[in-house]
Formats: sequence, C-alpha cells, structure tokens
Amino acid sequence: MTAMAGLTIVEIAERPAGEYAGKLLADLGANVIKVEAPNGSPTRKMGPFKDEESALFAYLNTNKKSVVLDLADKADRRTLDRLLARARGLIDDHDEAWATAHSLSETAVRDAHPHLAHLAITPFGQGAPPDRQNALPITITSASGWAYHSPSETAHAKPPLKGPGRFFADYEAAIDGAMCLAASLWRQRQTGEGQFIDLSQYETLLNRIDCVLDRMVAGDVEPDMERTAYDMGGPATSFACRDGHVYLFMTTKAHWNGLLEIMGNPDWAGEFREDWLEFDCTRENVVKFRDYFRAWIAEQEKVPITEAAQKAGVAMVPVNTAADLPQNAQFIDRGFFQRAQHPHFGEVVYPLAPYLLSKTPVRIASPAPALDADAEELEREA
Amino acid sequence: MSENFAAGGPLSGVRVLEITKVWAGPYAGKMLAHLGAEVIKVESATNLDEMRAYGGVDINSAPYFVSINQEINSVQVNMKTDEGLDLVRQMIAKSDIVIDNIRPGAMERSSLGYEDLVKIKPDIIQCSIKMWGNAGPLGYQTGYAPCFAALSGLYNLVGHRGETPKGMNMRHGDSTAGACAALACIAALHHRESTGEGQFIDLSAVETLSSLVGDELFAWSVTGEIPVANENFHPEIAPHGAYPCAGVDWISIAAADENQWQALCEVLGGSLATDERFVTLSQRIANHLALDEAIAALTREKDAFALGEALRAAGVPAFKAMNSIDLCGDDFTWSREGYRMVSDHKNGARPVIGPAWRIRPDGPEVTRGAPLLGEHNEYVYRELLGLSENRYDELVERKVID
Repeated sequence: MTAMAGLTIVEIAERPAGEYAGKLLADLGANVIKVEAPNGSPTRKMGPFKDEESALFAYLNTNKKSVVLDLADKADRRTLDRLLARARGLIDDHDEAWATAHSLSETAVRDAHPHLAHLAITPFGQGAPPDRQNALPITITSASGWAYHSPSETAHAKPPLKGPGRFFADYEAAIDGAMCLAASLWRQRQTGEGQFIDLSQYETLLNRIDCVLDRMVAGDVEPDMERTAYDMGGPATSFACRDGHVYLFMTTKAHWNGLLEIMGNPDWAGEFREDWLEFDCTRENVVKFRDYFRAWIAEQEKVPITEAAQKAGVAMVPVNTAADLPQNAQFIDRGFFQRAQHPHFGEVVYPLAPYLLSKTPVRIASPAPALDADAEELEREA
Repeated sequence: MSENFAAGGPLSGVRVLEITKVWAGPYAGKMLAHLGAEVIKVESATNLDEMRAYGGVDINSAPYFVSINQEINSVQVNMKTDEGLDLVRQMIAKSDIVIDNIRPGAMERSSLGYEDLVKIKPDIIQCSIKMWGNAGPLGYQTGYAPCFAALSGLYNLVGHRGETPKGMNMRHGDSTAGACAALACIAALHHRESTGEGQFIDLSAVETLSSLVGDELFAWSVTGEIPVANENFHPEIAPHGAYPCAGVDWISIAAADENQWQALCEVLGGSLATDERFVTLSQRIANHLALDEAIAALTREKDAFALGEALRAAGVPAFKAMNSIDLCGDDFTWSREGYRMVSDHKNGARPVIGPAWRIRPDGPEVTRGAPLLGEHNEYVYRELLGLSENRYDELVERKVID
C-alpha cells in the first residue's frame, strides 16, 4: 500500500524544484506522469553522468511515468488537455510568461480544468518582476539571507554560502509545494473543486527562519549587518577530536553538569559559575570554555565520547561525513538507504524519505523512466 | 468544528492536536494551520514551551513563541495528572492528527503511544518528530538543530574552501523537519480517505537534512564520488559564487550559459570577455578559481544592490547577499505579503513571516496571532468535549486545567 495511491498528477516541471515536488508525491504513491519535451527534461542533461545517463534525473524522477509532448504543437497540446481532464493535480515550475504562452497560466488552467489542483513553484512567486524570474538556487538563497548568515560565526572576509549541494532553495520549496498540493488534493476529494497554488521559493526560505527573522521584522530585536546576526551566542560549535569532529550544544546548568561528569570534573570548572550558560554566558567565558574543552576533546574518539555524553544528558554528537551515513546503525535500522537495481547503472542506493509511515512505507518501486516510456499506455487510456 | 475557527483553506475540517515544544513540532502545526487545519496546542503552566519563556519575558507575548504560532489554538492541561491525561485522551478522540516532538519515550510513558491512541480513536494519525526518529539503536539520543545537521552529514558538506566545514547557520533544521512532518501527515490523510485506516508516522530530523543532499548521496552509489563540501562550486556552471562588493556586502552571481556569460562580461567590463582562460564554459569551470578572482576584482568597489539590478536586467542570475537589515526593510517582500500583519494580544497587531503560498479560491486565512496560554480552554472543554460549566470550573480550581 502507498499513501497517495490512485491520485494522478501531471508534471510539466523542468527544474529540480518541480521535479523534486513530483518525486516526493510519487514516492508516497501518487501516479505522477512526467510530460517531457521531445528532447527530454533539461535535468536529463545535468550531471553527474555515467555512460551518458544522468544520475540527477534518475534520482529526481523515481516512481514516475514519462510521456513526450511538444507543448508548442497543437495536437500534442490537446493530448495534454486530455491528460489533465483525467488527472487530479498539475505541477509546474516555469515562469509566468512561459505558462501564459502555453495556455497553462492560473486562469487558463482554471477555465479549462476547474477540478485541478494546480501547483506553480517559482523563484519569487506570481507577479514578481520579470528580472526575478531568471534565478538559480544560489540566487534565491542569496536573496533570502541564509547565504549571508551562513555558517554561524563567519567573518566578513569570507563568502556567503549557497548551502548544501546544488539545489537547496529548490528542495526546501519542493517540500512546501508537495505539502500544499497534497492538501489541495485532499480538499478536492471532499469538494470536487480545484485550486491554484502560487508557491514562492524565496518565501519558503524566509519562513524557515521565522523565529529568528520575524523577531527582527517585528522590532523585538535589532536586525544586524553582522554575519553572526542569526547566531545564538553560546559555546555551541564543532571541535576536532582524535578521529574527526564532534558538535557540542549546551545552554543549561543540566548540560553543564552532565559535561563535567563525563570530563571527570576537571579543576578548571571552578572558574565558571554553575549556571554560567544561563546567566553568565559572556564572550570571554565562551572563549575560555572552548579553550579548555578543545584540549580535552582532542584526545577523545567521536562515537564513544558522544554516546557517553548523551547518556549524561549532554547534546553532543559526532560530525558525520557522507561516507559515515550508510554504515550508521540508526540509518541502517530505519532503512533510509534502499538498494535497488537500475536498468543502466546496475546496483544503486536510493536515500528514501525522512518519514516512516507504518501502513504505507515509502519505497522506490520503479526507477526514473526512459524518455517517453509510457506513451503507449497513456495513449490507450486517453 | 466550531465556525469560530473555520479559517478556510484546503485542510478546513481537519483537526490537529499538537503536544510540541520549541520549533520543529510547532512548525509542523503551523504548516497545517496555515493550510486551514484547526490546530490545538496542548500546554501547561507547569510545563511551558520554552519558547514562551526565552528571554524572561511575559509568557503571553514571548517573541520566539509569537513568531511561530500564528493561527494556533491553546488549551491548558496538566499532563502530570491522571485526570489531565484523561482530558487529553478525550481531545484525541475528537482529532484527526496528533503531533508530538517531546523527549523520546515520553508519549509512551504517558500511555499516549500509537498502540494507546488507536484504542481511543482507531483511525488516528499520529506523527512523532524526533532527532533520530522514534526507535532504533540511537533513538534515545536528543539534540538541537545543529546536532541534526552534524549527524545528517550536512554540517560537513557546507563550508569554506580549505577550512573545516561549519555547516549552514545553526538555526537551520527544525523548520525543515516540521515541514516534512506536515507533508507526511497530509499523505496519511489521503490513505485514511482511501481505506479508513490511520497510521503512525515516525520522522527523523537527521534524515530530513540528509535528504537535502539526496541527489548527491544517490549519485555516489552511481559514480563512486563521495559528496564533500565545495564552498560555492557548481560542476556545470561557472561563474557560480559570491563576490565581494563595497563595504561588507557580497553578491551572488551565476552564468549558466553563453548568453549569460556575455551579458555578465558586458556589465562588469574589464578584460573578462577577452581573457583566454575563460573563453568557453569548460575553460571557465576548469579555471574557476582564477575566474572567481577576476570577477571579484571587478565587483569589489561596486554597490551590491545596484550591481544585482544591473545584472538581472541584463539576464544574469544575481542577487545581493541580503543581510537581516536588508530583509526587514525589503519592499518587495512587504508588498507581496511575504510579511503580513496578524492580531497581537499586546500590541494589537504584529508583522509575521507569512506562508510561502497563496491558494485560490478559498485560500487559508492567516490573520490570528499566537494564542495566550489557555486562550481556547473554553472552546476545547465546553464546546468540543462538552463538559458542563461546573465540571470545567472545578477542573480549573483543582489545577487539572492549568
């Protein structure tokens, strides 16, 4: 069983933002039909490649079907309408000008297919100025403030960062997009009515920092040009240990006492008030603590010491590298990595979703489709 | 459901009970509320959400709390009493979804695990949000957002060239986990609609962050290349990075194709266009460090806002690396209701960061600010659970409702 079985969604998206939204829903069991231009989705031409096949496309389009339609061609455009008439949802991530030119704007879709839940993911939302339509993920992350204020404790001389991977702003927005479309599909099942969902990638990134940025917007705290404006100011950071790094987070007396316990109550602890984290967390104390702690943790190994810390109530964890993940006992126990055979790549490993659904587990049942793989089947149905 | 709380939106008619604290759990509740669900937050004066307390401020107008919990309803109950837990069970019987992000094992210890909940309401959807998920060999461990990032691999995958990676800003992680939890809850509503069956959702905040580099983890199994931190490098686009401007400002610039490259050269001037190291895209990628230096030399004296506008006008993806002052005053965001006003008990009105979506027709309303502690006690106990006035008063007096 899959959660969204029986729900057909047509995907005309051509960027990772829309394709990842489609993947999230396809992996939850929706019947996602990917409509591709005659030369294929642009993500088929994005690397990395093996034997000229894109690993990116193979990841973003699991559990989907593929049909080629030239949306500039009248006959093919009518075929799309037939698909939409039978579908419940539509995923797009083109700009408004493209949507209008292909009779796929908000109003055009509502007029022709009032039952459809229609998601449009764009960098800055519908109605944004034309110069904001042509944005890459790094552009959106930069506009959102996340780049300037990452990492924590960065100096002005260092460049702001794009975030993890190539598609941070795409994936974060795709989560919201899939959520909104699933919600609108649920309403459609109650009412039979469609809706248009205008999703802004930029606003997703703003919303993700709500309780930090909003306190500045509302005047509770002063906004700041310092790169550290989003930081918390305590001792939390990563430290080098014998075999890698650990991350220590500490804000309370209980954390402090737990840490002292696993350190064997060193003499220097007397230089700090017991409640210094809550009431005497000065810059000087943070620097002093880090110096002492750095010397001690350098001699420890990351897994045993962090397990001891956790048992003492201290939020200290190992800093995992990508290579650590597939061997990690918790990832293995939860089955986050699914081994599968891929028609071109042979054995591959798919990372799955972060949620385990007890009755409807997420699985990769079919690899990303070959171009136009499902044309015949869809033609028969249409 | 009470008409008082029907705020429209696609999830209108869905009731969510949240037993949540701090950020990830409340954010999941907020996502569902901002899609029209009726979300009731279970709270207690004896066991407050820390977000009501940070900064030693009035618990009813605590900045951290009010910046998240718009359109949320608050009910008080002392869950450390058997009578209080019985009231929670009565609320669960009237709910579609129960979300928690309290300490591992705490729900089960209160007899509020999934096995208990299905006895109260057979088709309940329960969603548990934990750092490492709800079970497993490391499931006992706890942490905060940067711990999720450290465990997920993300901390190690974001960093400056030649330095030990330091991750995104330490605030990143909770809200993304909450959004994924909300998505899973809605998927479970579909399954219930199809089959009549509820289920248990076990969300790992760590895996949420790992999934943000899912494509790289998958590609590793295909190509053998292990993902590593790479500052702002993009294997197929150059330039692709952040460049210094006047003052302490920076601008992001990317040129994905030949047209964008030519436009960039024209706007920046200098000798970029004729430099033999940068003629083709593959040369620019191969010589990306030299390219970054050459571009930085041309941007360093320029105003980041003006340069961003000039580049975008010429068709080049570019944007000032906005700082928190820029963001607070950003006209575009205000005009699109990216920031919007909601009601506020203390000041009458307050700006909040609005949802990233506009839904038409019948979109959700986001107009009510965060609740006072226990603001919706009367609604929940009298209207929803149908307690008599005497019974309600008595429970308040004995601090079961507290």
